[in-house]
Amino acid sequence: MTSTNEPKGAATAAPRGALRRPADLARNIDVSGLVDTEGGLLDRMVFTDGELYRQELRRVFAPSWLFLAHTDQFHRPGDFFTTYMGEDPVIVTLDRDRRIRAYLNSCRHRGARVCRADSGTTRNFTCTYHGWSYNLDGSLVSVPNRDGYPGEFAPADWGLVEVPHVETYRGLVFGTWNSDPVPLRESLGDMAWYMDAMLDHDGEGTVVVGGVHKWVLEGNWKLAAEQFATDWYHVNMSHASALMLLAPAGRKPKDEVVHRTGRQYADPNGHGAGFPVHPRNRFDAQTVHKWTDYDALRERLGAARVEGPLTNGHATVFPNFSYLPVNGSVRVWHPKGPDRMEVWAWTIVDKSMPEEVREAQRLYNLRTFGPSGIFEQDDGENWSEVQAIAHGFITNGVALNYQMGMGSERHDGRHPGLTSELYSDAAGRAFYGRWRELMNTPAWHEGHEEHEESKA
Amino acid sequence: MTSLAQRADRDTHFEVEQFYYEEAALLDDGRYTDWLDLLADDLDYWVPTRTNRLRRQQTLAVAARGEAAFFDETKESLAWRIRRFDSGMAWAEDPPSRTRHLVSNVMVRHHDPAENPEFTADDLQVRSAFLVYRNRLEREENVFAGSRTDVLRRGEDGSLRVARRTVLLDQNVLLAKNISTFF
Repeated sequence: MTSTNEPKGAATAAPRGALRRPADLARNIDVSGLVDTEGGLLDRMVFTDGELYRQELRRVFAPSWLFLAHTDQFHRPGDFFTTYMGEDPVIVTLDRDRRIRAYLNSCRHRGARVCRADSGTTRNFTCTYHGWSYNLDGSLVSVPNRDGYPGEFAPADWGLVEVPHVETYRGLVFGTWNSDPVPLRESLGDMAWYMDAMLDHDGEGTVVVGGVHKWVLEGNWKLAAEQFATDWYHVNMSHASALMLLAPAGRKPKDEVVHRTGRQYADPNGHGAGFPVHPRNRFDAQTVHKWTDYDALRERLGAARVEGPLTNGHATVFPNFSYLPVNGSVRVWHPKGPDRMEVWAWTIVDKSMPEEVREAQRLYNLRTFGPSGIFEQDDGENWSEVQAIAHGFITNGVALNYQMGMGSERHDGRHPGLTSELYSDAAGRAFYGRWRELMNTPAWHEGHEEHEESKA
Repeated sequence: MTSLAQRADRDTHFEVEQFYYEEAALLDDGRYTDWLDLLADDLDYWVPTRTNRLRRQQTLAVAARGEAAFFDETKESLAWRIRRFDSGMAWAEDPPSRTRHLVSNVMVRHHDPAENPEFTADDLQVRSAFLVYRNRLEREENVFAGSRTDVLRRGEDGSLRVARRTVLLDQNVLLAKNISTFF
């Protein structure tokens, strides 16, 4: 029915009975020829092919750290939030020991979701189909007609499948199905320096504005993820109407806005961040700008961050978590098939912000980003446009150009890691380089035989 | 929700419906600046997000003020949004979508000043339902259904202006790539 492998590292082995999937159900495609990071070319098939998409779920999403939620969404035991890891539904909750844990949102009996609310507070998760009920640590605690099962049936074997690793970085909660992952902090590498420009203004951390914006886009998830990693280039054209609004009434956008210079960080693990660099880079929302203590920020985070990634820019943590520091907008691009994604966007604000500053940040973000935002409306239009025609046979075979800033990556002495120009595809090439690497590497859940086969 | 406020008479009811039809026509014709003229200067225009909640937590199913919203606007911020269409580079609406705003289920009552002294008994509390169809480019389609709860203020010249509007969209995940119109 599907070509996914059993996640051996995650599922609890049942003491009675055994299932084994035929190895040839999942065909793995060598994607080496679809991404040319040296030549800066990308095959459009990566946005349209159903088999590649299923391979992504197995080899890109399943083994990677995926964003789940913000720690501020969980205050009391039983607070929960439901989301997705790839296409897998998960429940994130705070257990009795106040530990954030995540479970596959699927009953072990017939597979229905055991929680159908977006968020809330509960003592247990009860399947509405036959009534199997699980507590906050995932244990199966109630089975109607328990006597009908054989003697060796042990509820302990039938708890919710748990996401084996959940870690947080400065309030951001990530999880992975990988049985033996590189720790989250290590997988972020130098990207953490750029993330801190949004997450670590004063040591008090961030909190989340209640609620999540969710909307659908008829486009492959990578279109959005790569744009947030690598694409300041689109700003002047895609967002021309929004830039006009931010300029003084009746005038064109300031020259310094249109002809910005800056840097773009390209991470070997596929992360990316770009930002204009200017000594007077400022938060756009005036109330936020006036409240901000730039001197204290310089002291804490250094001038390079205050004049760059703290006050403007875009970023993606591979594979599908992105953010905009100037707005406090953080989002996940949930894959929903090769042609479709669902965007889930949160607004985060500094915990230290007074109420009126938080409110200013919230309003600025919802008026500029999110589905009604004056910027983001036009992004949606462009991504769906790219996707809408990509299935044409000839169209699909025409390579796309990722050659901007070719060879410009260097250590610039001011920002960690390799950086390129503001207008560059460097992080895009790194993003697809990492994608290619994962797509060609058997994940932990794949058997040894397959590993040998893919080498041949 | 029952209100002690007095039900409006037939003429007022007719007037309100005509007001809404005029408003719908302006939005469908893309005459946003003229639409702004129907809004009071102290307008509060709010479209909260809606969540799926356990039945016992239904009171939380509509985002509170200060939480995630699709719109949380003043007349000034709406004017700011509308100004973007003048740039000739608002790609989400270029070429423009075809939209049809249908308004129905209109229930009109006079405001009860005891409830909120900001308004008088000449002002109207109106609840209505809407269906907005959007057809875009070759075959893109969206349907937005929802309710509007308005306060319409009666001006000294007898005209009506929208002073408060709360829109509840009947969706959880917004089933559209963007919202480039108004409700």
